[in-house]
Amino acid sequence: MKRIVAALLVTLALGSCGQSDHKTHLYLQRFFGECGAEYGRSIDVSNAEGECGIITTLVDRFNAENPDIHIDVNVVAWPGYPQLTAQVAARDPPDLVTMHEGVISDYASKGLVEPVDNYLRAAGISPDDFTEAARQGVTMYGHVFALPWDTHGGLFHVNTALFAKAGLMRGGKPVLPNSAAELITQARQFEQRTDKPYLIQSNVGDPAFAARNLYTYMMAQGAVLFPDPKHIKLNTPTGVQVANFFRRINADKLGTQNMDTPAAIAAFVSGEGGIYPTGTWMIGSFQQEAETPGRPLYRSYAVYNYPRLWGEHVVYVSGHSWVVPTRKRTPQQRAAIARFFKFMAAHNYDWARTGHIPAFKAALQDPRFLALPHRNDIASLAQIGRPLPSYVLRQNAIEGIVGEEGAAAFTGQKSIPQALAAAERRVDDLLAQVD
Amino acid sequence: MAADLRRSRLTPLGWAGLSIGAAIMLAPLAWTLLLSLKNNAELVGHSEAALHGPYTLQNYIAIFGNSLTTRWLLNSAIVALGQTAGVLVLASLAGYGFSRLDFPLRRPLFIFVLLGLAIPSQAVILVQHQLFAWLHLHNSYPGLILPGLVAPFGVFFMTTYMRGIPRELDEAAMLDGASRWTIFWKIILPLTVPAQSTLAVFTFLGAWNDYWWPLISATRSDMYTLTVGLAAAQMNYAQTSGLGYLMAQAVFASIPIFIVYIVFQKQIVRAMAGTAV
Repeated sequence: MKRIVAALLVTLALGSCGQSDHKTHLYLQRFFGECGAEYGRSIDVSNAEGECGIITTLVDRFNAENPDIHIDVNVVAWPGYPQLTAQVAARDPPDLVTMHEGVISDYASKGLVEPVDNYLRAAGISPDDFTEAARQGVTMYGHVFALPWDTHGGLFHVNTALFAKAGLMRGGKPVLPNSAAELITQARQFEQRTDKPYLIQSNVGDPAFAARNLYTYMMAQGAVLFPDPKHIKLNTPTGVQVANFFRRINADKLGTQNMDTPAAIAAFVSGEGGIYPTGTWMIGSFQQEAETPGRPLYRSYAVYNYPRLWGEHVVYVSGHSWVVPTRKRTPQQRAAIARFFKFMAAHNYDWARTGHIPAFKAALQDPRFLALPHRNDIASLAQIGRPLPSYVLRQNAIEGIVGEEGAAAFTGQKSIPQALAAAERRVDDLLAQVD
Repeated sequence: MAADLRRSRLTPLGWAGLSIGAAIMLAPLAWTLLLSLKNNAELVGHSEAALHGPYTLQNYIAIFGNSLTTRWLLNSAIVALGQTAGVLVLASLAGYGFSRLDFPLRRPLFIFVLLGLAIPSQAVILVQHQLFAWLHLHNSYPGLILPGLVAPFGVFFMTTYMRGIPRELDEAAMLDGASRWTIFWKIILPLTVPAQSTLAVFTFLGAWNDYWWPLISATRSDMYTLTVGLAAAQMNYAQTSGLGYLMAQAVFASIPIFIVYIVFQKQIVRAMAGTAV
């Protein structure tokens, strides 16, 4: 018994031990998962695959190239904000954190993350180096609050074999619509010739899906979604028009019904529909299917930006970024953060292999990036991408509400005016509670 | 004997109903196990691929490939055992006090403890977090164990159980010159072993499965418990592109619980049937 107690005490004591190695330590917190088993000791970024593999090898490589600095990595469950908020409340936040651009304003408005202008200057990075979408995503209150790392948003992932069967291929490329009416016409043709739905939709348990569609096509028509920081405007003629369009797709069975994200992904890779409007993050998985003989998507995959159906060609986007939570730091730590920014900016192309669009113009124009599968077709997302205005707080929660009510409107669970009005009321109530 | 009698009364229809019920209960577990033994890429398009081979242990190997997995397992064991031991000690002492001793405000205090059952943990999470931050206890074992020691159910449970033990035993011991502590330690406590076992099992299960408090208190990966660590290890869209790995994590995390259930099966069944008190 005494031995067990002694062993327990030793374990507890060891658990509290710190380290001292005369290096400048930075504490980095990220999501994207843990893959130390596969990439833990690798610094070969070019051979790493997927978000987890690439970020793991990048950090390992930074540590290897900067022997006076050590990045201690803390992997958190996606998206990691409950933990970050808890760390901020306990006055022990990390030095570097991955953050979606739509979330930055929540922390920046309360001074919980530092403006990074000085770090960028020290790293020799100018905000002019960012793509337009990335610059908009990290700039607020007259400052840059994060190092943008990518732009991600919705894309039309296309099954070209089914498109060919539907007679919707021209010159080896799928024919995408140029208006809402054209999309309906093409969808009918597709359905008649393939006996499969044109759109694969994840309207169940995936609020981002409906929100992305509603935001994108309302923005395209010049709608001001947030006339001020406390109110949203959805129940407008424009909003009703967009909701009616998606309602019609469901009512006419031109899209799949009752699918959540896994079901929709499975349906697309199984060749059960023509187009799956989902994000940049799926390119890698779908391309892998397209390169595997015997799979339904084999040599039958293409991907494009959301088509312009009304007004201007814009797409609602967000992005991953690196923020620096506010806390006391030594000059050495501040210099180390600047070096980390410089390193990550220089390796933006490597990250873009995940499928996300680069946040730096140089990486966007990098021939290596343009040579990656499909990237030439979607690179313009960096220009046409539009985040929500930076003065809007609680963008994640708002997306949840808008998506939930939007899906109810699209699928007919609620009447369109009722759903859009409910979304407005719930979002306005939420924003009224925000300091 | 009684069990034999009941069993003999079960009709074939009853057997069929029970078998169907058991199959419905076991099917998700079997499905989880099968998915965990499949290559992730195979499951992306067709999860029904789990119904046939080839099967692989690669998802389990990947779990152990993470150097922190054993650390998380150890953390969970320390936290769950620490909470269980603490709750047993405190609930037994409090139960003895409330059931056996006369002291001022005993009844209001007992009601006050019971009110704790009506307060959801979410309602106090902010002040609890601030308190532990103030005490610098986050990212430590005490920080993970201490909140679980506030167990009004345990106090209620032990109080109720001890009230059922005849007071004559205490009186006889007192006549023999036994102190209060001796009565508690040598007479009452041994009689509460069935209740202690039941409370221990439920406390252990609750502590092992707890996610929320460890999520916000243990923010350094070396202090994660298994539930938080496994969630952190998941990549985005694990439910599609990493389904096998996800299921292997679920199976792995439930193995200790499974063992606890096998070992303490009798106590759990008795507790669920309400016969422990």
